[in-house]
Amino acid sequence: MPAPAPQTPGAAQVRQLWYAAVFPQLSSEQRSAQVLHRCARYAQRFTSFVSIDPPNALLLEIKGSLRLFGSFEHLCVCLDAGWNELGIPAYGAAAPSTLAALWLARCGERALIEDPAALTGRLAELPIACTAWNADRLRLLRAMGVARLGELLRLPRAGLARRLGEDAILDLDVALARRPAPRRAFVPRERFRDAFDFETEIESVAGLERAIEPVLARCVRFLRERQAGVQALALRLRHRTAPTTGLHLGLASVTGEYRRLRDVIAQRLLRLELAAPVRAVELISGPLERLSAASLDAFGGLGNAGRDSAAQMIERLRARLGDDAVYGVSPIAEHRPEAASRRVHELRRAAAPAVAGKGGDESAPRPVWLLGEPLLLSGREDSCSLRRGLTLEQGPERIESGWWDGKGIARDYYVARRAHGARIWVFQERQSKRWYLHGVFA
Amino acid sequence: MPREIPSLADILADARVWKLKDASAAPPQPVWSTGKSALDARLPGGGWPTASLVEVLLDDSGLGEVQLFLPALAACQHQAGGGVPWLIWVAPPHEPYAPALAQQGIDLGRFLVVRPESATEALWAAEQALSSGVCGAVFLWLKGTDDRWLRRLKLAAEAGGALGVLFRPERHRFESSPASLRVLMTRGEDAVHLELLKVRGGRPGSVDLR
Repeated sequence: MPAPAPQTPGAAQVRQLWYAAVFPQLSSEQRSAQVLHRCARYAQRFTSFVSIDPPNALLLEIKGSLRLFGSFEHLCVCLDAGWNELGIPAYGAAAPSTLAALWLARCGERALIEDPAALTGRLAELPIACTAWNADRLRLLRAMGVARLGELLRLPRAGLARRLGEDAILDLDVALARRPAPRRAFVPRERFRDAFDFETEIESVAGLERAIEPVLARCVRFLRERQAGVQALALRLRHRTAPTTGLHLGLASVTGEYRRLRDVIAQRLLRLELAAPVRAVELISGPLERLSAASLDAFGGLGNAGRDSAAQMIERLRARLGDDAVYGVSPIAEHRPEAASRRVHELRRAAAPAVAGKGGDESAPRPVWLLGEPLLLSGREDSCSLRRGLTLEQGPERIESGWWDGKGIARDYYVARRAHGARIWVFQERQSKRWYLHGVFA
Repeated sequence: MPREIPSLADILADARVWKLKDASAAPPQPVWSTGKSALDARLPGGGWPTASLVEVLLDDSGLGEVQLFLPALAACQHQAGGGVPWLIWVAPPHEPYAPALAQQGIDLGRFLVVRPESATEALWAAEQALSSGVCGAVFLWLKGTDDRWLRRLKLAAEAGGALGVLFRPERHRFESSPASLRVLMTRGEDAVHLELLKVRGGRPGSVDLR
């Protein structure tokens, strides 16, 4: 049983006016995506909200733009001029709902409908093919004697839902502006990419660092104009004979700051051994990302001059030592000691998970150092040779777990002390009765 | 002709004269309690000095050398008002075990391990971390180093306001060191023996920790 039809909202309630541009020439899937992106970028000068409707249409929200451009006619003229300039003419129509605008435009009608109440009347004239539903459904409708949307809208809702499916009913509700249909906004994918040819070949890393500065300054200006930052940069050093050297730079957080980017590049270059003199350099940014409020520093770091942020410090360490050499550790709720700790490389400020639910005794001692592999102690079973070297101070703590994944353990853990004093964490395997060293209480 | 006796003010103005009373009466920086009253009593100000370099000499891991500092570090992270200070361990001898650190109250969201490839890289990383101003403490494990680097570490610790702790083998005990506190750790029959080789603003001596 489908939900009852929502009410058509009044004109005052509708906040949006959608302009659909349908490009009849775009049919092949591959090319159309590229062309649509170009059109969407162009359309962004008319409105702040552009959405792509594949395979061949764009949707523009133009409620606010109408005031700016004076009238709908003027806006249409401007848009059409743009489409012609790009070499792909389009049909355009505007309506209070996305689908109504699309359907009107597909029929080639240049219409402007501002009142949602008028939608039913205007859509009634359109052939059902404008919905771009699949061929089976259209054939079924034609067999039922339905050729125009008006005839479709007159049919009982429950029967339609049963025959055509719920999504057809949804489409009709959306088209009549009875149901909101959020759209995904088009966000241009931009990157900074700039090359710079040096007048003379550069042979030293120090010289290279200075030579890159103008390109980097352009990159920072580019980022600032877009109020964006990057989290990755790529640097390509071109040589005359040797193949191009590619450097990848990762940053701990999104930034567009000149000083930070320069520091990271400088540290990365320090690690570099130039294979050949550098003829040209190319700087390519990663995808642009929005700056968070925290990453914008209005006062240029006046308050804490000379001090770094933690992100800067981590970046600098990583740039020189490599990404894998700098990491955090995080506990895991797990009984097996070797599986209860792991390295974490993404250093987001996540709240450390509580070690609750470990089941075992919370106050049971755990060593600061855990050996990667338990070390077999010489001496079999509970023998005297072992006793001579070790004094068991605390224990046993029985840990028996992991039978379900084939890495089961059954051990008795003790805190022991070596003859000369180190406190260690040892266990006796319950089956083999062998003793192992597993950790050190540093 | 009688020799002229210099006034007391003149003597005190001489840079070679050091007033012991002033140095011990007012510690220049705040300190972090070690959690062991016997040790606190021997340290000037009653705890580990902040913004300075501490050197721990020991030959074998497992004497509780990290344990000496963990209570102070946990307290320092929890007391912090604004940003929680970071703890950075450079070139630790084994893998730090997260559950043990969490048990001690260390905020693992602000804990970082750095594994450089060489001793020089390790010293560089420690210097960067110490001087960054966002670290509460930086631990560094080293086999050997030269005096010049230690001086740089000390300056970095003072500039960044962090506690730098350097763990070195015992054979370096007779070398000079710019550290403001030098501790030699050995294990006695039933206690850990701490020999305070050098205490700036205090007196050398020894402490037994049971």
